[in-house]
Amino acid sequence: MATFTLKSFTGLRQSSTEQTNFVSHVPSSLSRSQRRNSLRVTAARSSPKLANRNLRVAVIGGGPAGGAAAETLAKGGIETILIERKMDNCKPCGGAIPLCMVGEFNLPLDIIDRRVTKMKMISPSNIAVDIGRTLKEHEYIGMVRREVLDAYLRERAEKSGATVINGLFLKMDLPENWDSPYLLHYTEYDGKTGATGQKKTMEVDAVIGADGANSRVAKSIGAGDYDYAIAFQERIRIPDDKMTYYEDLAEMYVGDDVSPDFYGWVFPKCDHVAVGTGTVTHKGDIKKFQLATRNRAKDKILGGKIIRVEAHPIPEHPRPRRLSKRVALVGDAAGYVTKCSGEGIYFAAKSGRMCAEAIVEGSQNGKKMIDEGDLRKYLEKWDKTYLPTYRVLDVLQKVFYRSNPAREAFVEMCGDEYVQKMTFDSYLYKRVAPGNPLEDLKLAVNTIGSLVRANALRREIEKLSV
Amino acid sequence: MSISMALFSPPISSSLQNPNLIPKISVSLLSTKRFSLVSVTRASSDNGTTTPASASASTTTVEIPKVVAEKATVKSPAESSSASKNGAVGGEEADLATTTVIKFQDAKWVNGTWDLKQFEKEGKTDWDSVIVAEAKRRKWLEDNPETTTNDEPVLFDTSIIPWWAWMKRYHLPEAELLNGRAAMIGFFMAYFVDSLTGVGLVDQMGNFFCKTLLFVAVLGVLFIRKNEDLDKLKGLFEETTLYDKQWQAAWKEPDSDK
Repeated sequence: MATFTLKSFTGLRQSSTEQTNFVSHVPSSLSRSQRRNSLRVTAARSSPKLANRNLRVAVIGGGPAGGAAAETLAKGGIETILIERKMDNCKPCGGAIPLCMVGEFNLPLDIIDRRVTKMKMISPSNIAVDIGRTLKEHEYIGMVRREVLDAYLRERAEKSGATVINGLFLKMDLPENWDSPYLLHYTEYDGKTGATGQKKTMEVDAVIGADGANSRVAKSIGAGDYDYAIAFQERIRIPDDKMTYYEDLAEMYVGDDVSPDFYGWVFPKCDHVAVGTGTVTHKGDIKKFQLATRNRAKDKILGGKIIRVEAHPIPEHPRPRRLSKRVALVGDAAGYVTKCSGEGIYFAAKSGRMCAEAIVEGSQNGKKMIDEGDLRKYLEKWDKTYLPTYRVLDVLQKVFYRSNPAREAFVEMCGDEYVQKMTFDSYLYKRVAPGNPLEDLKLAVNTIGSLVRANALRREIEKLSV
Repeated sequence: MSISMALFSPPISSSLQNPNLIPKISVSLLSTKRFSLVSVTRASSDNGTTTPASASASTTTVEIPKVVAEKATVKSPAESSSASKNGAVGGEEADLATTTVIKFQDAKWVNGTWDLKQFEKEGKTDWDSVIVAEAKRRKWLEDNPETTTNDEPVLFDTSIIPWWAWMKRYHLPEAELLNGRAAMIGFFMAYFVDSLTGVGLVDQMGNFFCKTLLFVAVLGVLFIRKNEDLDKLKGLFEETTLYDKQWQAAWKEPDSDK
């Protein structure tokens, strides 16, 4: 039985002397059986209004998370500054966004290069299964170019009133008191001072760290580390006749040769395909895995020309601390990438928006100072909404990406219509839909059957090699 | 892409070893006749400018009616795709002398699936041989990953093999083994408990402690078959709870993490 109190709160109580009203909080004792977070901290409802100014919040990083956060903050009446180090950053990314993102973020349809409505899953023994028969007319997976999407979200934030600065965040000085500002050190790039930029500082009341997998904001607040995967991708321009095959089809290759714990992919982009793979445990062999992926897709990308090679770390799980006082992490910086599918764009944008909404609400549209309790509300809401999704995908990864027999069973299962329907429903709309119990039972039986058969074949293979 | 060229050596060496392995296996198995290996050479038919040596690509087709395959001319399982991709960029990098592609071929593998009619024995399909054939195919592909093509898609689905064929081949022998172990353990435990406490078999069955011991013994026989299984089970348990712990870390006290 542990009493969970925040050290910062006890500090608050002692240091704030001039405040007329104190921040009241209820330390809640956590029982072992209550595994869900039951940290209940009331917000600074009683903190005084900010005199003569609105709340100033800096968003570090201008990707989907930063752009979405900055837009929501600016619309909520908060003075927002967005710092992005490379405005035309062409990020190495699959670039797939679910259907719900288009609706929720009001994305114009012209930033979507392609609508993928068919997918092919290919097992280690090249058994190919077509997925997508259950999709309705208006359903698709959108393929975007990251530079286009990120720029659009940043522009929208700017139009809503945020200030966008082209600069590189260096470090930040943490405040001494509960209402002292954070001092950010950054290098501003403008045309005049050339490539090296100019060192500047800025005082803000709160910071949203949306600066990606190698987040400096996370380092500044001691958020801790996470395991990460390396994703390696080559963009290949293939001849037009081969491109028609990938018109609206994406491929996923599984197998020990392609990746020991992830999958290799061929995703169509605007006028080329992206062929890539990733791994957590065998990062040193990534080039070998990439060659194997290219080999598996060889016939279909024959005659292609590699136009770009890129690689990036992808977080595997959230950082131990996702917020600290008035700094919160969102997106890849927080580690919100799902397992199994490695999806991160939607969760980045959504977490940016959720965090910004929490700040807007806690500060009552920028009139009041916020504190950690307001940001914790964002964490609570996030965990409540999406933890089931993350858990399910983690289980899927653990069960089906273990070994070649498991992957064979996985591909076999994907051929089932019910599985396809459930998978697409949960991917496109981000809800873990309760299915038909009878079908679920049939699915469970079929899954076990597939796994048993695949493992039996593996035992046969082992007998052969003896 | 000179880096990627340097990395060609690992795939080449690993797949060179294996063609020699497989023939030895096919010798030892009785059903060698079915497994005929044909190495097919495919000259890369992309932009002919890149591989000047493609003209010299020798066509070697080696038939193994029964036994060993000589893969003398297998130089490089064709990474012709990379040569073609570097097309305009690095024509001089194409030092792949031959573009030999070894594909899985078998007389009974027709149109991307097993032709069940060829597996018939006494008028009925011999499912055991289908299972063995599929296992061989998978093993071959694990050692020599192949490209997927749209012309010859793989359509085989293991669920066409009836459930009783799987049962007979895998479940029953294992069940026999485990039941045998359980019976031996049961007999000797019953004897020891009787000799130590004087409680006979019928009275043991009525005792709660003995019943618990029986339950533990059954679970042990089921789950712990090798010495490594103990550690594996422990690791599995930790694995199932790890992800949750990582998510809950944000809600713990700050100093517990540092």
